[in-house]
Amino acid sequence: MNRGGTKMTKRQLTLYFGPQHIGMVGNFSITLTVEGDTIQKAVANPGFLHRGFEKMLENCTYTQGFPYVCRINVMDPDPCEQVYAMAIEELAGLEVPPRAQYLRTMALEMSRLSSHLLWLWAYANELGFDTIGHWAMAQRDYFIDLFDMITGARVYHIYIWPGGVRRDIPTGFAEKMQQTLAGLEDSLRDYDAVFFDNRVFRRRVDGVGVLSQEEALRFGVTGGNLRATGLERDVRKEEPYAAYAEMDFEVPTMVGGDSYARAMVIRKEMEQSVFIVRQVLDKMPAGSAWRRPPNPFKWNIPAGETYVRMESARGELGVYAVSDGTDKIYRMAYRVPSYPHGILVLEKLLQGMNIADVGHMLLSLNVAAPEIDR
Amino acid sequence: MREEAIKQGIEQRYESCLVTVPREKRVIISLPKDSLFSLIAFMKEQGFQHLSLITCVDWIKEGKFELVYHLATYQDGIHAIVKTRIDRANPTYQSMIPLFAHAQTYEREIHEMFGVEFVGNARLTPFLLTNWQEIPPMRKDFDTKEYSERMFEHE
Repeated sequence: MNRGGTKMTKRQLTLYFGPQHIGMVGNFSITLTVEGDTIQKAVANPGFLHRGFEKMLENCTYTQGFPYVCRINVMDPDPCEQVYAMAIEELAGLEVPPRAQYLRTMALEMSRLSSHLLWLWAYANELGFDTIGHWAMAQRDYFIDLFDMITGARVYHIYIWPGGVRRDIPTGFAEKMQQTLAGLEDSLRDYDAVFFDNRVFRRRVDGVGVLSQEEALRFGVTGGNLRATGLERDVRKEEPYAAYAEMDFEVPTMVGGDSYARAMVIRKEMEQSVFIVRQVLDKMPAGSAWRRPPNPFKWNIPAGETYVRMESARGELGVYAVSDGTDKIYRMAYRVPSYPHGILVLEKLLQGMNIADVGHMLLSLNVAAPEIDR
Repeated sequence: MREEAIKQGIEQRYESCLVTVPREKRVIISLPKDSLFSLIAFMKEQGFQHLSLITCVDWIKEGKFELVYHLATYQDGIHAIVKTRIDRANPTYQSMIPLFAHAQTYEREIHEMFGVEFVGNARLTPFLLTNWQEIPPMRKDFDTKEYSERMFEHE
């Protein structure tokens, strides 16, 4: 093309991906500079879901914060409650009864499973496997039903509470849980046959979006994305919290660090979560599910600071909490796993990729927009 | 205990440093701002290869911002909290990008939410907020109630 005497050999376009997109979990936008179908540059724009939770927590008493923190990650809310409760317990020196630790472990694994199933829905949909997406979404709903049964809420459970959990499991819950787990195991075989072992899927994802182990470490990536590069690192093993020290489970890893490896890590983790929940049901000690903390309206927590961490569905989730001895937290900073891989790693991987892989990459990295924005 | 060994190693090298081991797998280090960069570089060599989080605490009564760097080892999972205080009236500090590439995003957020300038970070562009005209919102003197009453009509 010849325009005004300057010969243009390149034609670059700016494209806006999101903040609304069918394959995206939460609102997130990426500004793409493309040439033909190839991405030259990607700039991630978070902030569409910024609700200012860390600021709001400073104006709340300790128990008033729970309805906010679970909303930090819409797909995986219970870990956000767990770290918040862990931070309060550590600052206040509050003990948690053993039964509550088991119930917490169960709730956390249920949350991991429902997050992974929601991921499978979105990821499969993004790659054109609509059927498997619907199956996964339906399977997730059975876990949501179980949450409904123990907490009375479907999405935001506010189940984990300082000193334990809000209530014990109702009668008939264990049987229903066993049925749901068996159902998931059946479904996993179907997912393998239709999706994970499918040649079409393999050809679509093999070698796409490779994140090497050096790069992953350089960018502070944790969780499944790091395990997909071959490094076995899991906070549940490294620094066990809740009842994980008494659980027997494996930490699945893959090599390659591509979209396939990341998907397989999540696939294998679902199996491990099923094992963990079964062990919780088998070994759960009797006793109280909650040790009552002091009057929440007059609960002054001694001045101090702490960092607590755990493994959420996406990686290391932590809280740095500073108390100044009053009934409100002085500062609470969330370390969210999507933060490193949702901005810099995503921008880096998208460079040179095809436009069709943008949604795929967001889901392959399992980016949760609400937890980046908080 | 490995935590105690880390404590001694740092105390020998940096005299102005205050190191505590509050519990297993935690080390809290506070030191003057001049030696922070060199300490973090030293710790990175000693195995603290994972920068987990950078955050900021506004100590408004003391007139200080506290920058808090969270480092961890991959081998034994020891988590170190490294803190330094900078002047609140002139909040400028050097960027950690030469040591950890992804410090960029954390510094971007602290720049936006607390107004701290990081020298050496070329990307201190708006991050989570849009067209923000007020003082940085995570500062303790930012009044959320007054702001929302002014911005949004209410009866």
